[in-house]
Amino acid sequence: MTDVTAARAAARPQRRLDFQRMNEIGLLVVIALLYLAFYLYANNFLTFRNQVSILRDAATFGIAAWGATLIIVAGEIDISVGPMVAFLSVCFAFLLKSDDMPMVMAFLLTLVIGGALGAIPGILRAVFDVPSFIGTLGLWSALGGLALYFTDSVPVTIPANDFLDWLGGELFGLPISALVMFVLFGVFVFISRKTAFGRSIFAIGGNASAAHLAGIKVRNIRVALFVIAGVLAAVTAILLTARNGVGDASVSRSGLEFSVISAVVVGGTALSGGRGSILGTLLGIFVISLIGNGLVLMGVNSYLQPVVSGVIIVAAVLLNILASRYGARRNRKGA
Amino acid sequence: MAAPAPSQQPVQPIAGISGAVKRYAGVVALDRVDFAVRPGEVRALLGKNGAGKSTLIRLLTGAETPDEGTVTLAGEALDQSGENRTRQASALGVRSVYQELSLVRDISIAENMFLGAWPRRWGVLDHREMRRRTAEALENLGLFLDPATVIAALSPAERQLVEIARATMGAPKLVILDEPTSSLAAAEVEQVFAAVRRMRERGVALIYVSHRMKEIREIADTASVMRDGHIVSTLDIGAADTRDIVRMMLGHDEKKDDLVTPRAAGKTLLSVRNVSYRPKLQDISFDLRQGEVLGIAGLLGSGRTELLRIIAGLERADAGSVSLDGVDVTGESWAGMLKRGLGMTPESRKDDGIVPLLGIDENTVMTDASAVTSYGVLSARRVAAATRGIVERMSVKAPETTTPIGTLSGGNQQKIVIGRWVYAGSRLLLLDEPTRGVDVEAKSQIYAIIRKLAAEGRSIVFVSSEIEELPRVCDRVLVLREGRIVKTFTAPGISTDDLMTASIAGQVPDPAGRNHRNGTDHD
Repeated sequence: MTDVTAARAAARPQRRLDFQRMNEIGLLVVIALLYLAFYLYANNFLTFRNQVSILRDAATFGIAAWGATLIIVAGEIDISVGPMVAFLSVCFAFLLKSDDMPMVMAFLLTLVIGGALGAIPGILRAVFDVPSFIGTLGLWSALGGLALYFTDSVPVTIPANDFLDWLGGELFGLPISALVMFVLFGVFVFISRKTAFGRSIFAIGGNASAAHLAGIKVRNIRVALFVIAGVLAAVTAILLTARNGVGDASVSRSGLEFSVISAVVVGGTALSGGRGSILGTLLGIFVISLIGNGLVLMGVNSYLQPVVSGVIIVAAVLLNILASRYGARRNRKGA
Repeated sequence: MAAPAPSQQPVQPIAGISGAVKRYAGVVALDRVDFAVRPGEVRALLGKNGAGKSTLIRLLTGAETPDEGTVTLAGEALDQSGENRTRQASALGVRSVYQELSLVRDISIAENMFLGAWPRRWGVLDHREMRRRTAEALENLGLFLDPATVIAALSPAERQLVEIARATMGAPKLVILDEPTSSLAAAEVEQVFAAVRRMRERGVALIYVSHRMKEIREIADTASVMRDGHIVSTLDIGAADTRDIVRMMLGHDEKKDDLVTPRAAGKTLLSVRNVSYRPKLQDISFDLRQGEVLGIAGLLGSGRTELLRIIAGLERADAGSVSLDGVDVTGESWAGMLKRGLGMTPESRKDDGIVPLLGIDENTVMTDASAVTSYGVLSARRVAAATRGIVERMSVKAPETTTPIGTLSGGNQQKIVIGRWVYAGSRLLLLDEPTRGVDVEAKSQIYAIIRKLAAEGRSIVFVSSEIEELPRVCDRVLVLREGRIVKTFTAPGISTDDLMTASIAGQVPDPAGRNHRNGTDHD
């Protein structure tokens, strides 16, 4: 025990402000600044209706971002989200339209198809060592094409249905999709912090070779991550279809995957793997969603909006990196 | 080529060091060293880890500036500092070839030869010129490879030879080869020798770092033996006795009181029979009993790591069998071996051992989540308790169980990497270089931990390049040389001298009347 006391005095861990905490504080500051700026320069920004609209936008890519966070922590990447959601939305609409199918089956089948599609890049990565960027790039291209081919790029109208209307609507004034996002937030925080599966993801991202040698089932976990991402894409697709009342192939062109990756990266998850948090991603989602919303309200030319968000996102990540470098230098001096 | 002592030669030395002192953070790495090598001489450089060989080489290549003394190359004193010093040494004809290959895998031999200094014409790469000069350099070494071949398509020996060919570019005067044969099979070594002889004929001086006495006797004229920052002796290799060289390398400071007292060992746990893995291992057979620490000695490239990987199921042997508890486990997978109670700590702690950003706790329990989870959910309390148990048993110094392992010292990291298998309840531990990069105090703690684990009935295979530690830890030591077990020593008859001699010697000279103690010859 004297060992421990002596070492405690020597190492002084209390002085270290860990990167994750610093990043989260930084993001809260950014969110506060965005609120202030848009309050001053955009019309109707602080209205309740607009807050709901920000939440709804957040949910369209936020649900997929939970899975993407885990994938990026594991040192992988998934760029297939947009076309995946589009294709699953079309699938869901067709399943709802078929007469001899109970509605529950339409839901279940959509989730299963999502998981199965996710398994493709997962298995390619885990078993055949195809980089996940390539696997999901293939899926991105193929699913976008398939969704348009099956629908001839005409939205597929779904039959009128009370449950779907409820799902596309609001509860206690909040969009159901946003509530689903928050519930899943809790689930994924729990998975990432409290389960052996979640911690194994961090171990793989931090040092895959060490994880493998310690007996962690690296292959299985890699496949599981992409299956989870597929299922989350299906959830997103179902909520989106319910809200719009149509299965819409054009979602594949909306750049959903970029919003997802931006949110994760702005949230402080390292693209090199091993480091990141679901809470960080939640804050990242709000940053991305706020920027999109505020720019529209400010009346910024719609062609210029992506330019502004591009600059803001890169600047946020750059600040993060500079802050962590500064922190690392201070810790070294303190030691 | 005869090789009288350098002082008797009228020929000017091509490289000289005089009165050089070099300290690193207060530790003296070189202490008033004088060194000279003549054109056309092949000088072997011997000495155990930390004797000062690499510092000496770094002085010659200009990578380090001595704190005192001078370095002279081709009659000119090295007087630049920083990067310019390396450039000056290179301009004066010093080339070095290191054991970690420095070729770019996916570009051609020719482009590698001129890496970063490609000949250009009108700003465009002059491929014809590159090919011509590359082919010339390769032919000079008796190599007939197409300069357009990519490195990835070459055998390890050919790659090593291309490295050497690169060192011959631009009229070198002194070429330093650092363990050039450690990754090569016996037949390929001949090719390296042919290259060395050709360079010698052209009057190039060579420094050949190696511990394989057979090779040294075949290729070198003279040898300098280093110990503790001094050159103990420079001698004519033909007249030198291997045992004398070993004695010079080791000095005599073996403390008898830390040696292992052998215990009655239990029943056989692991049996390895006639395992071959070409070209690294041939016909390896041994048993490991319960509660026994079995050391494996051998030089770099002698096949130690490969042997561990085969036992662990990470590599398939070409022939032979492995059995555990009398059950044949040949070809069993890594996951299967872990279930059967095996644990392994890798040679490179940083690359394959730790997950630096995660805490000590997570780095410990990663070998077996089931003991600290219910239905996949981790119990923070059980994780902390299990980690504290291991931290105490392994005498790890750490502020908290959650401290990121990357912030600990190498010794403490290593204790956790071993401890995670103790936590998992492994019966058979394969420890590959567990004391590499670890300070002296942590080393003795690790020895004590290993003895304690053995006393609990675990069986341990202990691989180490530091020959001094084997007698302090092992009940029995196998010496691997060129892929074969050449000797077995049993405590208390394990001595550093015998181990070193068996590891390096082409043939162990066995002077009449000398007691061989418990050494068993397999030759």
